[in-house]
This record gives sequence, structure tokens and C-alpha cells, in this order.
Amino acid sequence: MRNLDYLEPESLDEALRMLADYGDEAAVFAGGTALLLAMRQRMLAPGIVVALGGLSALRGIGYTPEAGLRIGALSRHSEIARADIVREHYPVLAKVAAGLANPQVRNQGTIGGNLCYGDPATDPPSVLVALDAELEIAGRSGTRRVAMADFLVDYFTTALEPGEILTAIHLPPVTPGRVGHYKRHLRTPAEHRPVANVALTLTERGGLWDDVRLVIGAATPVAQSMARAAAALTGQAITLDLAAEAARIAAEDLTPVSDARGSAAFRRQVVRATVRRIVAEAAGLDWSEAAA
Amino acid sequence: MSHHWISLTLNGETIEAEVPANRLLSDFLRDQLALTGTKRGCETGVCGACSILIDGEVSKSCLSLAVQAHGKTITTVEGLAQGQALHVLQAAFMEHGGLQCGYCTPGFLIAAADLLSRNTSPDDAEIRKALSGNICRCTGYQGIVDAVRAAAENLNGT
Repeated sequence: MRNLDYLEPESLDEALRMLADYGDEAAVFAGGTALLLAMRQRMLAPGIVVALGGLSALRGIGYTPEAGLRIGALSRHSEIARADIVREHYPVLAKVAAGLANPQVRNQGTIGGNLCYGDPATDPPSVLVALDAELEIAGRSGTRRVAMADFLVDYFTTALEPGEILTAIHLPPVTPGRVGHYKRHLRTPAEHRPVANVALTLTERGGLWDDVRLVIGAATPVAQSMARAAAALTGQAITLDLAAEAARIAAEDLTPVSDARGSAAFRRQVVRATVRRIVAEAAGLDWSEAAA
Repeated sequence: MSHHWISLTLNGETIEAEVPANRLLSDFLRDQLALTGTKRGCETGVCGACSILIDGEVSKSCLSLAVQAHGKTITTVEGLAQGQALHVLQAAFMEHGGLQCGYCTPGFLIAAADLLSRNTSPDDAEIRKALSGNICRCTGYQGIVDAVRAAAENLNGT
């Protein structure tokens, strides 16, 4: 790893000033689980590391019925997984955090770092899109809020402008009948980076689904909302046939990545199977005995 | 390159040292402090051989910089035994064949110690999940799971 200067700002203002002063030479260090790997593998070679660990404004997880959930960007995955307010109000997010990577990475990696790195082969982006998350971003001219779906621009590319810092993730207040589901496909149990994942949120009204979000992650350059498949599931009695039809539509609309971990064709099939299963399970149906 | 004075509690002792900014915590432990129980395996955050406890939580020391250990309490595999008395996990790994070449063992012991500090009677699924950040390439995992289960039973007196 190349020689570097390690800076520890004590306030958000000081951190933003450092990023402005050093420009492209500086990299932001949150939990380090991604950045240190990239530096060791010489994919990134910053001369200056700005470590955010001392910024208390980027910590903490809080919920109010009016504003919803605020997760400080430096919250580690293990902290999100065990936070009572997350488990109570957004159990699907707690489940995703509890299953991300492995115990060590959950204790070291942060949700903010995960999102800013922009690596598609991970769990949080799709579920955060399905939960209508907004990101709070600080820059030298002030703070802005960006919808999670707009934050994800392309493969390893986010809407973060040079010099900006992600400070928090916001989720809207929970509403009656709103539930979330998450399912992923790992190539082997020992590999922690999903080949594909599916997040599903919906509001149940009289046995029918409304306000359906179906979002694919990891198989695509950025988490992809499947509007046509979600529409097919809206206001209809959910059957295994309908689950299979929604899965067919999602696979058709998918923009898959193709790489060493899975070809486009393989990922399309994995997405199709995973969508069918998550929809069936969300409706309390047993897909295992039925033909796909 | 910046250099930093760090002060930390390591296996119960206060340590002060000067480290360059780009030194990994795993390299600091092994090369600067000669605590070679912590292994370098993949050095890409996958294998878990470099696992240590940071403030009581299992972490990969190849994914941290040494400078970030400032103010922390760290336990390495050298800190598990009490003098000549092996930790209950170490004894159980010996008894149940939880190792063959032994290279991954320090990491497994640390991950298991983290589990038992939070969950005194884990079932096999919980043991396997807690060890999912560690890889063994020779023994296979059954002996390791047996050892952790036996250690938990030993601690509970069952």
C-alpha cells in the first residue's frame, strides 16, 4: 500500500474542508472494509485518507412516528441488525443487515461506506430502494436529500459529487399493513456476495397487494425497480401462476451484468426463480412442489 | 507519510507505539509486536485467519489500519489462555480435532470466543453462522463445530 497521510477531522465542517482542499488525492474512510481492499489491490491509491470515525453527527439510529427512521451513515451493519427500533419497524432491513457478508465485516463495515462504494454485489441497495429510502448528503454549500434510486447511478458510481459526504439514510414512517421481504442467491454458502437479490415491499389491503415495490439487486449494475412486474402483482389475488408471471416479466425487463461470477443468462434465470419464490412466500404459498 | 502515536490495551496490557499511516493492524501485531498468533491468510477480508477482538467484537485485522487501534481494547489469540491454562475453547479444539494444520485456528478461536461472549448456549446453526467469516481448508468444519459446542457445554457445566 502506498505511503499516505491519515487525517482525522473532528467535525463534519472540518472533514468537508479537507475534501475540498485535497480533491481527488483524498479518499473518505468509514469502516474500511472496502477501501482498504481497493487500496491493497492498487485499484485506488489515495495519498490522503480522511477518516470519519470521530464524527458523532454521522452516528446513531433514531425513529419518530413523524419523521421515520434516521440511520447515521457510520452505523455498522451489526448495529443496524440489533437496533430495537429497526427490528420493530423495519424488520426486513434488520434481517438484511444481520445476514450481510460475515460477522467480522458486519462489525467493521458501515452502511454509508457500503452505499458510497457503489459495488452492486451487496445486499443493502435493493432493499433500501424498496423501502423508499432517502439519503442525506452534506457538501460545503449545505445539505441535500436524494432518493436512494437516484443515488445509484451506475456500476461503482453514485450521485455523490466530489467533496460531498453521505451523512445519513432516512426511511419514511411505517404505515399500517406495509411489509417487506428479501431474498438472495449466493453462488456458494461460503461466498458472501450475492449473485442476485430481490427486495419486495407492499401494503396489504383486504388480502390484495397495493403500492408494490419489486427491486432487483446484485444482478444489475445498480438496483433495478421492476415496475411492470410490480404492477402485475397489484390488486390481484396472488397465486403461484401469478408469481411465475411476475417472475417472467422481471426476468424479461432485467438489465443484467455479465462477469466471472455469473453470466447475464444465468443471472436472468436466478432472478426469475428468486422473484417467483419471494412472491409466493410473501403470499404464504408453497412454491417447492409446483412447476416453475 | 504521516506517523501516529497510538495507545491501546492489548491482551490486558497497555501498549504505546508509533505506526506509519499505511500499516495494517495485522502487520502491526505480527511485525511490530511479534504477536504471530494472528495469521495473515488472504489479506483480502475473506479467510478470517487474522481475526481479533476489537472492543470485544470479532474483526478482521487485515481490514483495519494500525492507527485506528488507538484507544481500543484488543484481544488476540495470545490473550485467550491464562498463563499455562488453555482457554476452554483451545482445550475443546484439541479434544475434538478442531484443527489439522492449525493456520486458521487462531481466527476460529477468536470468532468462537466472540460468539460465546454473547450466546452461552448456541445451537449448531448459530455456531455455523458465527464462524461463517472464517475458512478452514483442511479439517473441514465438523470438528470445529463440535469443539465450540463442547466448549459452550463445558462453560455451562452441562
